[in-house]
Amino acid sequence: MIHRECGVLKTTYEADMALYPLPIARWTVAALAVLFFLVIPLTLHEYFLSVANLVWIAVIGALGLNILVGYTGQVSIGHGAFMSVGAYTAANLANRLGAPWPVTLVAGGLMAALVGAVVGIPSLRIKGLYLAIATLAGQLIIEWTINHVTFISGGVQASIEVARPRLGSMVLNTQRDMYYFLLVFVVLAIVGTLNLMRSRIGRAFIAIRDQDIAAEIIGINIFRYKLLAFAISSFYAGVTGVLYTYFLGIANYEQFQIGVSIDYLAMIIIGGLGSVLGSIFGAIFVTLLPIVIRYAMEAFGGVFFEPQTVLNLIPNLRLMMFGTLIIVFLIVEPEGLNRLWRNIRSYFRVWPFAY
Amino acid sequence: MRQFLALAVTLMVATGSLLAAAPAHAQSKAEIVIGVQCDRTGPTQIVGTVLCPGFHDYVALVNSKGGVDGHPIKALEIDHEYKVPAAVESYERHKKDGAVTMAIYGTPQIYALAAKLTEDRIPGTSPGFGSAAAADGQRYPYIFPIAATYWSQAAAATDFAKKQLGGDLKGKKIAYVFYDNPAGREPIEVLEDLATKEGFQLKTFAVPPPGVEMGAQVLDIAQRFKADFVISHLFGGAPSVSIKELKRVGYPLRKVIGLVWASAEANIEGAGGFGVAEGYYAMQFAGVGTDYPVLNEIREMYKKQGKPAPKEMASTVFYNRGVLIAALHVEAIRNALKAKPDGKITGEDVKKGFEKISNFTLGGLVPPLKITNTDHEGGGLVQIWQVKGGKFEKVTDWFAAYQDVVAKHIRESGAKK
Amino acid sequence: MSEDFGFFLLLMSNGILIGLMYSLIALGFVLVYKATDAINFAQGEFVMFAGFVAAGALMVWGVPLWIAVTLALALMIAFGFVLERVMLRKLIGRPVISVVMATIGLAAILRGIGPFVIFSGTKPLPLPIPDEPFTLGPFFLPPIQLLGAGVSLAFLAGFGWFFLKSRKGIAMRAVADNQQVAMAMGIDVERYFGVAWAMTGIVSALGGVLWGNMLGVDVNLALVGFKVFPVVILGGLDSIPGAIIGGLIVGIVENIAAGYVDPHVGGGTKDFAPYVLMILALMIRPYGIFGKRIIERI
Repeated sequence: MIHRECGVLKTTYEADMALYPLPIARWTVAALAVLFFLVIPLTLHEYFLSVANLVWIAVIGALGLNILVGYTGQVSIGHGAFMSVGAYTAANLANRLGAPWPVTLVAGGLMAALVGAVVGIPSLRIKGLYLAIATLAGQLIIEWTINHVTFISGGVQASIEVARPRLGSMVLNTQRDMYYFLLVFVVLAIVGTLNLMRSRIGRAFIAIRDQDIAAEIIGINIFRYKLLAFAISSFYAGVTGVLYTYFLGIANYEQFQIGVSIDYLAMIIIGGLGSVLGSIFGAIFVTLLPIVIRYAMEAFGGVFFEPQTVLNLIPNLRLMMFGTLIIVFLIVEPEGLNRLWRNIRSYFRVWPFAY
Repeated sequence: MRQFLALAVTLMVATGSLLAAAPAHAQSKAEIVIGVQCDRTGPTQIVGTVLCPGFHDYVALVNSKGGVDGHPIKALEIDHEYKVPAAVESYERHKKDGAVTMAIYGTPQIYALAAKLTEDRIPGTSPGFGSAAAADGQRYPYIFPIAATYWSQAAAATDFAKKQLGGDLKGKKIAYVFYDNPAGREPIEVLEDLATKEGFQLKTFAVPPPGVEMGAQVLDIAQRFKADFVISHLFGGAPSVSIKELKRVGYPLRKVIGLVWASAEANIEGAGGFGVAEGYYAMQFAGVGTDYPVLNEIREMYKKQGKPAPKEMASTVFYNRGVLIAALHVEAIRNALKAKPDGKITGEDVKKGFEKISNFTLGGLVPPLKITNTDHEGGGLVQIWQVKGGKFEKVTDWFAAYQDVVAKHIRESGAKK
Repeated sequence: MSEDFGFFLLLMSNGILIGLMYSLIALGFVLVYKATDAINFAQGEFVMFAGFVAAGALMVWGVPLWIAVTLALALMIAFGFVLERVMLRKLIGRPVISVVMATIGLAAILRGIGPFVIFSGTKPLPLPIPDEPFTLGPFFLPPIQLLGAGVSLAFLAGFGWFFLKSRKGIAMRAVADNQQVAMAMGIDVERYFGVAWAMTGIVSALGGVLWGNMLGVDVNLALVGFKVFPVVILGGLDSIPGAIIGGLIVGIVENIAAGYVDPHVGGGTKDFAPYVLMILALMIRPYGIFGKRIIERI
């Protein structure tokens, strides 16, 4: 029943590309589904679900960014802005035309994809750090535009209130409702990314990442695929922005500033570039780390310091620990949490008969 | 394997801390929890590191006197680094820990939490920041600005300029220097209205973030526009830069007024000290200085514990604001407990408690607010202080101006929705 | 001379001086990139940290100014060496983004340490120079900006000499050009990486003192780091004269935008205009004005 692979015994391309390489993968996915759809939402307190919701939103954004950075090798420091494009598109559609969430979600994603592709145009000519900073410029220009064009921002406050999403007659307003709502999209995003990377498009992306001139020579249309990578990645970002808007009940561009772009980069680098699982791990890690550090400090900080000092200590220590952990990770495990997970798995795979 | 061990240890620490944290809040049922959000490490940490200790000191003072009707108050603080997801998380955490009222911090944060606060029926305060339209208690029943909003501040500043310029603004030129974000642009509509009403010429000068340099704007104000008065609405490090640069181009600082986030000791220090900023006017929504009975009591409390008074008390503008915010929360809780002596108060009770606050002045540190179920701002009262001889000196008492214009804008904003 | 033209000249002079102040920060950025191919997203935090050290020494511990500045210099040089040794050496050969992320982590650490260890809140950093501007015909010349411009130009001259004439400088250029070949020629590549980071430390220390005087010292001082990107991209990431020219362009464009564009669009275009210019420039010259063109081979 429980059997593991003991070598690469695949004889067809279909087997090599299969979504579930082994029967046990099916069982793992089923078990995870039970855990995430039943056990967690039905047993945990709303607070933990709210944290989970923040993680889910981050997972979708991180997956999208990883398609661009990890799989296609194009750096973007503008993803926060693409999220805001999605958020404002959805908010305007919902408020002005009364569009329901399925419409705004797709529209927000598509609009972000369009803007993302435009910001990605310089990628055809410039590379690496120059491109990174060009996307940073994109971020600032989008922020500026939303901030100043009242047609988009809905007034000087640049914030548009949005009603909670509805499912039939049910209004999704508790954290538990949002949990299910978001989880569906997380699953779609994961399956979507996995399948995208098994397709012709995904292979083209990877070829471009590995060596774009070589890719061009073997007949990959760099122009099309680079922009496609920006568009797909921004589509995810736009969807993230829309979901975030529904989660908070408001679209506000100050929630999508440069710091957000950097947080998402941190997620995929810590998690592992070019890996779906890594994106998920990274999103979980970056979202939970400050919270866990705070809990730890609250529990043990009082042993060493005065309560007033602890209050000042926690945030600064958290900041320093966050920075240190990022650096330690980069030095010790450059391929991120995903690699760490593989190492652990391969250790147990041959356990107890490791050679 | 080392990495795996490290991971395991982290997980153990995490679960251990979760377990340790849980029972601490469970016991004494009479305890009343205030959720406090704070920014001690983010872009506005200069405010947070002083304001939040003020909040805690006042709560400690109340507790040292036996709490509110015997109920101890617990102020749970979480630093959100001015990030929205962290603010959402800390909101949910406070809710889980039973907070019946919340001191929110930051404009994007109050926007992000507004819907939640209303759905969960927990009052949240946004003193001196957030949307000016939130003063409308009917439209935002659970949001309490409890201090002059940006609209009231701009109106008061215009009124002050009028008095400084001889009681008539006709034909005068007023420059409005603002941080180019939603908070900075918010007062413009009120100022434009006042410009037509009073007949002065208004010109706006945007300072885009990060606002580390504003030579061009300041040159324009002093040399091209030749403003008669300057209203400055800047945040973070930008107020210091504005003071210094205005001084540099030879513009007299006694014709400049900074709104509430451009008016603290830190802003003056950053500009090079009180000597440099001599003459600069600062708008305040809490009393400034150390000479208030409540501050003496806090110092007494520390003395009794054998500890020196905290160094944050020296930065009186932000510290006193912290005390003010805490005092209004405690007062609202007091009112709520009066209405429900069994001590089982909910967010709704505290909301009603806020709406009963009237003439609670704490010896002059708090303006004589009158919060009602329609006016959550409490009258839009401010004081103007001036940098004079190395310290802030009071120039005006609590006042509000053009409240009719402000009310009109609040109405219009409600109608637009 | 009409009033408008006088105002234009004022804007220009202001732009030139502030532009040279930007160059000062950009120089640190370029030095590191030139020698080690690492991009330093913590440049603003370097400047902030140096400002914290100087202001802390001056205002909290009460030492004379020259000791405070020396301390900041010494500490930043040591910091540069240690940083290279502990962190960046381990990241050699990793993808660009790893180094970027590591410096972002470093920025978080510095932002935590400064207020935590040295002082919290805002402190001024007074220098013994007058606040009143010199008036020279139509121009207002603030002394601090003149000093900053002077320091920038001195650095340009100093580094120019260093890279062109000195033995060490030539070795560093060799390292920058091709690490493997440099190694084969017997150059201790890692040592020169350390030297480059230490040189960035020097530039950051003086930048911290001058900008600290302009803005006051607190964490917001790190925001000047954001000004660096258009400067270095316009000039070219690996060109020292480029940093100066880029600084001048950004300074002037900002002032012209604030003086003549802002009134028409009703918003601040000052920080946004250089980025637009930068994108346009990149479409024409993908490696900046003075940047080295990289020829790719398969």
